[in-house]
Amino acid sequence: MSSEKAPAPDPDSGTVFNIQRFSIEDGPGIRTTVFMKGCPLRCTWCHNPEGLVLKPQLMWFDVRCIGARDCLAACTRDALELTRDGMRIDREACDTCGDCAKACPAGALEVVGRSYTPDEAYEEVYRDEAFYRNSGGGMTVSGGEPTMQPRFVAALLRKCREGGIHTALDTCGYSSPEVLTGLLELADMALLDLKVMDEAEHRRLTGVDPAPVLDSARILAGSGKPVWVRTPIIPGCTDSPENIAALASFLAGLGGVQRWDLLAFNNTCGSKYSRLDMVWELEGVPLKTEDEMVELAGIAERSGVEKVAWSGVTRHE
Amino acid sequence: MEESIALKPEELWNPASGLSDRVGRLREEYVEIEQRDFHNEVMPFTTGTDWDQVWSPVLWGVVPELIAFNKAFMESLPLAATKVELPDGFWDEPHVVRVAMFFREVVSRYLPVRILDGELIVGGQFNVALSRAHNKSEARAWLKDTMKWLKGIEKLNSHGMGNAGATPGHLIPDYPRALETGLKGLVEYFESLKADAAGRQQEDLLRALIITCEAVRVLAGRYADEAERLASECEDEARREELTEIARACRKVPWEPPETFAEALQALWFIHMLVMVQESYPGPGLSPGRIDQYLYPYYRDDIEAGRLTREQAKELLDCFWIKPNYAYDFLYRVGRNRGITSGYGQLITVGGHGPAGEDVSNDLTWLVLEVIEEMNLLEPKPNVRLHRSTPDELLKRVSEMVAGAQGSPFLLNFDERSEEALRWQGLPEEDLWDYAPVGCLENTLQGNDRSGTVDVNVNLAKAVELTLFDGKDLQTGDRLGPRTGDPRKFETWEEFKTAFETQLKALLDTFIDFYDFSDSIRARFEPTPYLSALVRGCAESGRDVTNAGPEHNYVTVEGVAFATAADSIAAIKKLVYEERLVSMDELVKAIEANYEGYEKMRQTLINKAPKYGNDDDEADAIARYLSRFWTEEVFKRSTPTGRRYRGGYLSWNYWIAYAPTTAATPDGRKRGTFLSNGLCPVDGTDRQGPTAVALSVGKLGLETVPNGDSHTITFNPTLLKGSERVDKLASYLRAYGEKGGTALQINVLDAETLRKAQEKPEDYKNLLVRVTGYNAYFVMLGREIQDEIIARESHEL
Repeated sequence: MSSEKAPAPDPDSGTVFNIQRFSIEDGPGIRTTVFMKGCPLRCTWCHNPEGLVLKPQLMWFDVRCIGARDCLAACTRDALELTRDGMRIDREACDTCGDCAKACPAGALEVVGRSYTPDEAYEEVYRDEAFYRNSGGGMTVSGGEPTMQPRFVAALLRKCREGGIHTALDTCGYSSPEVLTGLLELADMALLDLKVMDEAEHRRLTGVDPAPVLDSARILAGSGKPVWVRTPIIPGCTDSPENIAALASFLAGLGGVQRWDLLAFNNTCGSKYSRLDMVWELEGVPLKTEDEMVELAGIAERSGVEKVAWSGVTRHE
Repeated sequence: MEESIALKPEELWNPASGLSDRVGRLREEYVEIEQRDFHNEVMPFTTGTDWDQVWSPVLWGVVPELIAFNKAFMESLPLAATKVELPDGFWDEPHVVRVAMFFREVVSRYLPVRILDGELIVGGQFNVALSRAHNKSEARAWLKDTMKWLKGIEKLNSHGMGNAGATPGHLIPDYPRALETGLKGLVEYFESLKADAAGRQQEDLLRALIITCEAVRVLAGRYADEAERLASECEDEARREELTEIARACRKVPWEPPETFAEALQALWFIHMLVMVQESYPGPGLSPGRIDQYLYPYYRDDIEAGRLTREQAKELLDCFWIKPNYAYDFLYRVGRNRGITSGYGQLITVGGHGPAGEDVSNDLTWLVLEVIEEMNLLEPKPNVRLHRSTPDELLKRVSEMVAGAQGSPFLLNFDERSEEALRWQGLPEEDLWDYAPVGCLENTLQGNDRSGTVDVNVNLAKAVELTLFDGKDLQTGDRLGPRTGDPRKFETWEEFKTAFETQLKALLDTFIDFYDFSDSIRARFEPTPYLSALVRGCAESGRDVTNAGPEHNYVTVEGVAFATAADSIAAIKKLVYEERLVSMDELVKAIEANYEGYEKMRQTLINKAPKYGNDDDEADAIARYLSRFWTEEVFKRSTPTGRRYRGGYLSWNYWIAYAPTTAATPDGRKRGTFLSNGLCPVDGTDRQGPTAVALSVGKLGLETVPNGDSHTITFNPTLLKGSERVDKLASYLRAYGEKGGTALQINVLDAETLRKAQEKPEDYKNLLVRVTGYNAYFVMLGREIQDEIIARESHEL
């Protein structure tokens, strides 16, 4: 799997951390989502922490480890130590060569993120062509943040266009207008994440200034292509009625948005954080209830967006 | 994937509260089996001779759970049997005529007649064990062969090789013709054939057919008498009128052709119910076929003439729907483990296309779907045919029902995929459009085809074991296959493959021999003339349905543990011969040790070898090779009676039954872990989701599998919540029909809900799940199947 010392890397290659088939949450129909590694935001709730940094990372799955220790022998950089508390990965020393993952019989080590040429990624995407065709689906390129790897994403979008596969660009909006416009031209639609309206809160929760995100929203909305906005509903972060109301009035002023989805907080990604030696701040936070989601969706209706919907797992009371 | 949260009892698919009082009461009466003062438990009837037999093991060979009980049944049932007074000259008649006469005596004088309070379709006691009506020398010959047969089945079964038997049911009788002409018309037809009968055999058969058809008229008359009696005692005027109407209908049908929807349902039920009597078999696989097609004219005419409202038609169908469920009373005291009481499969089919590919769904199709939804019963098992031109609204309705029930309320059959394989089989092109499945999903033609659809079940994973141990069973050391050599000496994949193919063919031939013998026992000693009267080809050829009388005769060999076998040989090819990560010597030792002390190797086999079910071309190519090789070998063989063998993939519950008797396998499975089911990937190995698994199945080249394949997938309920997602399911099904297998069943379940159901069975008694081609009430399944299903559902797509 790993591309050990590949001779001459394709300049259009991209680092992908997952190609997810039967994606039914990322745009119309049945889709395959290509998750690009690397994101400019640092949302406290991030559901895909393995997509944050651009370079590949080593993950250790405690439940799979059988203590065979082949990984330790395979590592030439002395980056691994199997302790009583689990695997300790020296992330400075580790160059994610993947030798340990190859040696592990149990699949307990994985390098997340690998280099794909656009052709390789397209070949994966094309496999579900029949499902796209029958469902009005296609490919969504997401992340991480796809605009951080524009050459690869542009090439992949182009290939899909040639192959008659519908495409969606899923962006957090934190991108230069040129890059965004360039990619949008090659895509059939856009999905945009809008999280928080309040400037200080946005900075606190995502680590970045909201202005470029809102600019992107304007570019997308003015492009004439279908735009679906998505807002994760995160307890204590994005889920206040005020925030939804503020987003609604922004969207009302924006126009051109076809659909707005509220995505209920999902609490299953904690283990991903620990596999990366990261801490998840939302550990133990309860799910939203259905009533809360319905109420927020009601507020979102004020945006005048043609279709407002909510989805996700909710807590039974 | 998203976290799943258990469904609450009120979120389950429950019988609709909208059932009429009458239907609700009748349904409840059936379900509350312990509260009933009557049971449709098997009633034995004997000729009273010392040598008489009422139980025939060869008919039950494919129910491994019963193998151990055969001798007890053979001894005890005749003792408990009612002695039937035989007519003069009985013993002078040829055997097939005796069988017919015995059937006539029982149904016209002994079979209890009972009409339940409020029911509109009558006919309730049909589980019997009829005398085989052998004379002394026939009985002796039968017994000799049967004892020999019992030894054979015990050997095959106890070594986990598989099982086989000449199984009743599993066909679609020509009910449309019987309705069109009435049984009277059939009798006239048989009379007309007498003049040109080709010889004694055909003359005898024709006499037998006529006797049995006339007997049905007598039974219907007894129900008419009973209805009249009840009417005369009935104080409720409305019910009295109904009973009077029932009496009138029973005087008429099924002897005369029905003219209304109510009469058609009554006639159909009598005709069908008596096949179960004739075969002494509680209905498994005895399938009515495309009822929304052949009952539609009766329905339409009644509605158009204003004789019947849609609501009234639904209530009649509801009443009809309850009837076949009483088959489950058959062995109700023996126990409910392992789905014995859940897998009968009196399969009805709705939807599908017509001769020009046009969709033929109609209002009755929709009405049947409503009935299925509201009744929430095991039988009749429904199957919906989907095809290129299935209207979007119907597909949406079907998808909604799948999403709203837990174990899909019906199985989905894909016409283009199914017909492609029936074409390969060589069935007439002009008849393919009118195919229908029997039992669970086994494709046949209607009215003229016995394809022995579950008659031979071979454990493909056993061939892997035999290849690794030079033809010997690892556990017992018994020789089960030829000597193909010590696998440690095979230097190349090709050598291994040759040995594997030799074992596979030898295993197949073992079963072919055994089934040929089974088939010949039934052909010589077990005619079922009443069923023969309902299957085209028998009267004309003068051969009983058990003796290759139908126009189309096949025997289906179902491959069991397909994915376990495919993944095992893929692991050997890749890890032993290509990458040399594992040596054959070590592998053999590890399997001998059941992987105790070889966990590292086991993990390597699990994680480093390609697995079928992921749209992984490497794994799927090996799976395809296995499927093509196997099914083409099967198709080269025929029985001496002229029935050609054909391939299928339906594992009923054998993937559980043969788990302990199949050694550890090179895919990393330990002995005792369940084998793979139908054409499903090994549990937990398909990690690329429902599109990938559909493509893997489709890549096998299933045109060589005319019977069709059992493929189950599971969706987490949260994935199918809401109308948009139901649309996505619908389009998934369209694509599946283009790229996937012949049939699909969908569980919409999560492990959490099932665990709740184990804890509180009383709250979850309506929870239906799909097991393998059939659905069952989860709480009534044995614990081991329950646990297996939980394990399956824990791995979400």
